[in-house]
Amino acid sequence: MSQTPLIQILFLSVGLFFIGMYGLLTRRNVITILMSIELILNSVNINFVAFNKYLYPHQLEGLFFTIFIITIAAAEAAVAIAIIINLYRSHHSVDVEDANELKW
Amino acid sequence: MQTNYFILMHHELIIAITIMLLLVIKVGSDKLSNQLVANVTNGLLLASLVLGFIVQPEGNVFGDMFHTDGFALLQKNILVAGTLIISLQASTWLKDYEHTAEFYILLLSTLLGMCFMISSRHFLMFYLSLELSTIPLAALANFDLHLKRSSEAALKLIISSAFSSGLMLLGISFLYGTTGTLSFGEVASAIQLNTPLQLFAFVLIFAGFGFKISAVPFHLWTADVYEGSPVAVTSYLSVISKGAVLFVFITVLFNVFALYAHSWYYLIVIVSLFTMVIGNLFALRQTNIKRFLAFSSISQVGFILIGLSGGTHTSAASVVYFIVVYIFSNLGAFGVIALVQGLTGKENINDYKGFYLNNKMLSWMLGIALFSLAGIPPVAGFFGKFFLLLSGAEKGAYWLIAIAAINMVISLYYYLNVVKNIFIDKSDTSIEKLPIAIQPRIAMIICVIGVVGSGLCGGLYQYIFDLVK
Amino acid sequence: MVLLDNITSVSSSADYLPIGIQLIFAAGFVAFMIAFSAWVGPKRKTSDKLQTFTSGIPSHGDARHPMAIKYFLVAILFVLFDVEVIFFYPYAVNFQDFAADITMKWHTFYAVLMFVGCFLVGFIYIIKKGALKWED
Repeated sequence: MSQTPLIQILFLSVGLFFIGMYGLLTRRNVITILMSIELILNSVNINFVAFNKYLYPHQLEGLFFTIFIITIAAAEAAVAIAIIINLYRSHHSVDVEDANELKW
Repeated sequence: MQTNYFILMHHELIIAITIMLLLVIKVGSDKLSNQLVANVTNGLLLASLVLGFIVQPEGNVFGDMFHTDGFALLQKNILVAGTLIISLQASTWLKDYEHTAEFYILLLSTLLGMCFMISSRHFLMFYLSLELSTIPLAALANFDLHLKRSSEAALKLIISSAFSSGLMLLGISFLYGTTGTLSFGEVASAIQLNTPLQLFAFVLIFAGFGFKISAVPFHLWTADVYEGSPVAVTSYLSVISKGAVLFVFITVLFNVFALYAHSWYYLIVIVSLFTMVIGNLFALRQTNIKRFLAFSSISQVGFILIGLSGGTHTSAASVVYFIVVYIFSNLGAFGVIALVQGLTGKENINDYKGFYLNNKMLSWMLGIALFSLAGIPPVAGFFGKFFLLLSGAEKGAYWLIAIAAINMVISLYYYLNVVKNIFIDKSDTSIEKLPIAIQPRIAMIICVIGVVGSGLCGGLYQYIFDLVK
Repeated sequence: MVLLDNITSVSSSADYLPIGIQLIFAAGFVAFMIAFSAWVGPKRKTSDKLQTFTSGIPSHGDARHPMAIKYFLVAILFVLFDVEVIFFYPYAVNFQDFAADITMKWHTFYAVLMFVGCFLVGFIYIIKKGALKWED
């Protein structure tokens, strides 16, 4: 069984990163923006795991970094969703274009 | 081995114990006085500060992930002192607030993250502590729970900080891919010149830092977040969190990317140029005083970056010295603003017309702080900026110093405009005489002593300079 | 090959080609996506189009009616506590090695105990706050 070359995995992760970036910059729903951020973080996870497995198989640093990224992403999402709920309570919308009280 | 931990990490331990203590107290009884919570926290912070000056250990723990020495301890002391001042200033706002214990828990969590961040010598530790110091800040920004603009500020803060840490993480992952290690020392020795992927990683990490210190291409969230957050959180964001990230930035630039010094010199010069100019130009047109201070703090970051561009011990010392001065002067200004906003709800620059008539002491305080921010000679801000420009000039970029000087003149205009509003302008609806409680009064006195003293006492810069070596 | 060595040794701008390609890829991807979706995407916004697809069954009501906040709260708390369990995994994997080592045995045990203790305080705080109270 032949192994997938590293470069393909890196292409996948960079592609995922830019899809996340695209979503972050164009979506208007805050929840979707959060999902885009998760995509960005997961592309980094793929990077770490791939580098660890292909280039430095004798160590675990990359894997552990991934574990920490996953947990912190969960914490970040929890705080963000709490803020979004609070925002929703005050003006009944999760659209970023309605969050327009602060400008310039 | 065991005792080693306790001595080496005494800042972090005291803060962590305070957090747990507050949680347990809060769980134990719902009805506890805000004053008690504030006093316990302030007392423990003060204890940590005093201990930080007495016990000065040096060493590594956690498999060299955590490193502490005199320089790191000084930085932690600066942050703890700043947090203590903010906590004293916030007492007016927190007096009748129902979530005081939670406020302190979140505030101290971010402080804990910053202390770990300053000591981190490993990218995993660095990332963890960075997130620990930014995620609770977003929750803090939302602490005016019923105000829409507060939630909006918190949303902007968490999304931009999540995005910036995503960028930084991508950079770290590339760094890991090219060097095979994540500890600062090993990365520094494994880095090679002219590896495109490493340069790309550096650019990404730089962008992540740029977001956190709000350097110009990445500054867009700053003003909104500063305006929407409660004043205590705004002052915390503008000095403490920015200062902590800048301290780590010094380590990352000077140690990890030392080999790339030639490349990042130009990057920092260009970014600092834009930061100064754009921060100043936007500060000119602001009417809200929190927003005004947000843009002024952006332009101050530009000056700090000039100091960083030197890349020597002198520039590290000058940056730390400037941050000390900046903490005192900015907190002095924010202390008055917090008081005015907390008691009258006014936060426009025009509302400060005729402020001197009824509030002599507060006016002088704000005046001195603004003079220091503008960099006018007798107060400390001048010396801070002087040392920054001096260390920036070491590389011979005199045109940069000239542009910085022009920017100082521009900034003089808008700072003095506020001073003119306070002292000279008359108004029919000027603010009444405000009662000042004991805690803000203490904080104010500390700030005045700090602003005047750190400029006149020449030993301070020498002390910092000796520690950098 | 000799030519290539020369290029790398003097570090010409060719070394930065991958960065340039990545930047072009980034910018091009975004531009392509915006242009492509505008070109391909449907632009007919009739009332039928905007209705929810329900396999022919007439839809009733709006999915966006306010949901009780407790669902979100419990979901968030579940995710948090669920994900943090990940940190037990490295401990569990290395448990046998730790158990063999007389000093590490208690050292690691205290570390895990501390971790669980922090969580326990948080959990008690949540219960005290009434976040998990399902019936009003």
